[in-house]
Amino acid sequence: MWTLGLLLATVLVSSCGVGGLSPIFPNPVSPNGQNIYNTYIGISIPAIIIFVGVEIALLWVVVKYRRSTQPATYVPPQIHGNTPLEVAWTIAPLVVVLAIALYSFVELQRDFQPVSASNYTVVVSGHQFGWNYTYPEGFTVHQEGSLQTEVTPFVVPTHRLVRLEFQGTDVIHSWWVPAVSGKTDAVPGYDNFSWLKIDEVGKWRGECAELCGVGHSTMQIIVQSMDEPQYNAWVQQQMAAAKSSP
Amino acid sequence: MAATQVLPRPKAYDDTFWKPISLWLTTTDHKLIGIMYMVTGILSFVIGGIFALIIRLQLSQPNLKVVDPEAYNQMISAHGVTMIFFFVTIFLTGIANYMVPIMIGARDMAFPRVNLLGFWLVPVSIILYYSGFFSGGALDAGWTGYAPLTEKAYQAKSLGVDFWAMSIIVWAISGIMASTNFLTTIVALRAPGMKLTRLPLFVWAQISTSILLLVVGAPLAAAMILVEFDRQLGTQFFTTQGRPVLYQHLFWFFGHPEVYIMILPGFGMISEVIPVFARKPIFGYMSMVAALFGIVFLSMTVWAHHMFTVGMNTYVEGFFMLMTMLIAVPTGIKFFNWIATAWWGSIDFEVPMKFAFGFLATFLIGGITGVYLASVPVDTQLHQSYYVVAHLHYVLFGGSVFTIFAGIYYWFPKITGRMLNKTLGEWNFWTLFVGFNGTFLIMHTLGLEGMPRRIATYSNEAWAATNLIITVSSFLIAFSVAIFLINVVRSWNHGEVAGDDPWRANTLEWATASPPPPYNFERVPPVRSFMPLRDLRESGELEEELTPEPAPA
Repeated sequence: MWTLGLLLATVLVSSCGVGGLSPIFPNPVSPNGQNIYNTYIGISIPAIIIFVGVEIALLWVVVKYRRSTQPATYVPPQIHGNTPLEVAWTIAPLVVVLAIALYSFVELQRDFQPVSASNYTVVVSGHQFGWNYTYPEGFTVHQEGSLQTEVTPFVVPTHRLVRLEFQGTDVIHSWWVPAVSGKTDAVPGYDNFSWLKIDEVGKWRGECAELCGVGHSTMQIIVQSMDEPQYNAWVQQQMAAAKSSP
Repeated sequence: MAATQVLPRPKAYDDTFWKPISLWLTTTDHKLIGIMYMVTGILSFVIGGIFALIIRLQLSQPNLKVVDPEAYNQMISAHGVTMIFFFVTIFLTGIANYMVPIMIGARDMAFPRVNLLGFWLVPVSIILYYSGFFSGGALDAGWTGYAPLTEKAYQAKSLGVDFWAMSIIVWAISGIMASTNFLTTIVALRAPGMKLTRLPLFVWAQISTSILLLVVGAPLAAAMILVEFDRQLGTQFFTTQGRPVLYQHLFWFFGHPEVYIMILPGFGMISEVIPVFARKPIFGYMSMVAALFGIVFLSMTVWAHHMFTVGMNTYVEGFFMLMTMLIAVPTGIKFFNWIATAWWGSIDFEVPMKFAFGFLATFLIGGITGVYLASVPVDTQLHQSYYVVAHLHYVLFGGSVFTIFAGIYYWFPKITGRMLNKTLGEWNFWTLFVGFNGTFLIMHTLGLEGMPRRIATYSNEAWAATNLIITVSSFLIAFSVAIFLINVVRSWNHGEVAGDDPWRANTLEWATASPPPPYNFERVPPVRSFMPLRDLRESGELEEELTPEPAPA
């Protein structure tokens, strides 16, 4: 079955990460994102082994047991089952998925509990169609949705654990910057939490990931990190601007 | 051997689709109702496919505007609703309606008039949904219709959401009727000797599907009624002031089992097709049945894995993660049993068998990506991205659609008395296999790179090339479906005459004429194992099939 070969070739080509065909998300800059990345790699090891193993078994059956290549007298053995074999392929996947679940649960406990180790909380609130970031210093950055222009960046300091508190004001939105970490929903009625800690200076793109109306695709996100002195200057500038425009 | 009694084969009844319209409108014959379900399903498949092509055109390049965002959001919602509610579920109900009574040796369903009513609620449901397009805009919140986006505050000017909610309520009632009918039929109307342990696996699959729909259909209708209360009576169940996440719980308590409602009958069909074309009995019959019920039970305990980003307690998330991953175990059992059935077989790769193997090769990918998505931390990256779109199409296209094609090519000779054309069938398979994988395999990478689903357009140039390949491949799928439709229309009246049992199959539907007479059997054949027809063939008790008459010119 040459098409299966083609399929495998496509997998291989996409594994090379050519022309935007990456088999994994971008290398994250925040430790929680990095841990998710590692979990993804961890799951991939048994996943790839099982995928390749089963596809080879299928190819083997297709090539080896075709009636057209068998002698006309061949009568297949009339086997109705084999209990030890069936027990084996019940237990083996069970062990694999329990291991994956346990591994994932450890990561879940490590990075998805509400963090108390930070007193620097930015309130991220989603609305149709944009994000507002209210800093502990009291000013708010408005990131209005747009497709055409680069949206106003959400600026964070480097080397500092920033707690994100998500609030919904109208419909449900979801804040997602793949290079930082996984997504968090902003749901009306209660606060949702996440955090980030970025050690390098840079800019990363993201999008709203929950369908929120006609402007959904415009709700782009940019996260920008600045090192401490630059960040403090930026905060002063924002506070001054907030004072001058009531 | 002294063959005691030779069973007569009934004469073919009528092999034309062109019956008087009054007969179609009033028939309680499960076979005609089954055909109407299947035709409705295929028409919905074509309509849903047209929506998909428009979506793909829009996304083929950045910043395109084939349709505006309002229309785009209606298209994605209509694509999902049409494919899930009006195509896959309806088609599978149809093929089961046709086959289940014959496979268990019954003359009709237990409640023929409930069957009639249940079917005619389907066009009502479909018309209600599409009425939304003429009321200022159909549902535009995705097929899941998450609140509060469906609330009046955000949907003031159109009645699309109301029509959708009404449509789904009617659909759920119809589904509950069909499920009750299937379960009663299978419990009460089995032929003598057809013990539960001798039921064909397709019938077992239909039992499990019916149980699922019976349990989860009502909560779905309840969710829709509450949405309507919020919209029209001013209640606050799911509004911005209420509890929007409660809607997600109710919806997914239906929504995840619905995935299995759409795939278990497909599993059943594969369990029929592989033994016939490999000339071996199914491997591990009892573990296949046990696995079905394992899936039924587990599928009702996993719904919140669609909600890992709403901010639940991490232990609750851990529970849903574990239950989701456990589904890999019964699914794995079925997978290994299918491979073991074919192992050492004498495999004839007729078109149904090609589709069965196409299903195995592709559904595997959907199963494996499902484990990634079940892992809570990884899911927070992949959720609501094109990775999920690729995953769900591997499950529902590589799974349901490939099994549906396997089932159609397998049973078309029984239903119409004529074979589908083999050459067109092979073209259908290969173009679909290449087109499907071309469309959805690389789609995983879009999600990994951060492309969310349900965006009307995008400005990120890095996604452009992948999207273009996907769009081109999606038209190959359309080409393949066109070949299929041509094949069905041509073969229905001009195909090679099939005879009663063209595949030398194992189950009772092949013991009667093709197409079967209204009463199905002149005398119900004796059943001594789960392969009754093969027993009869080997003991010489079945009357030799008459040479099929040549097709009229």
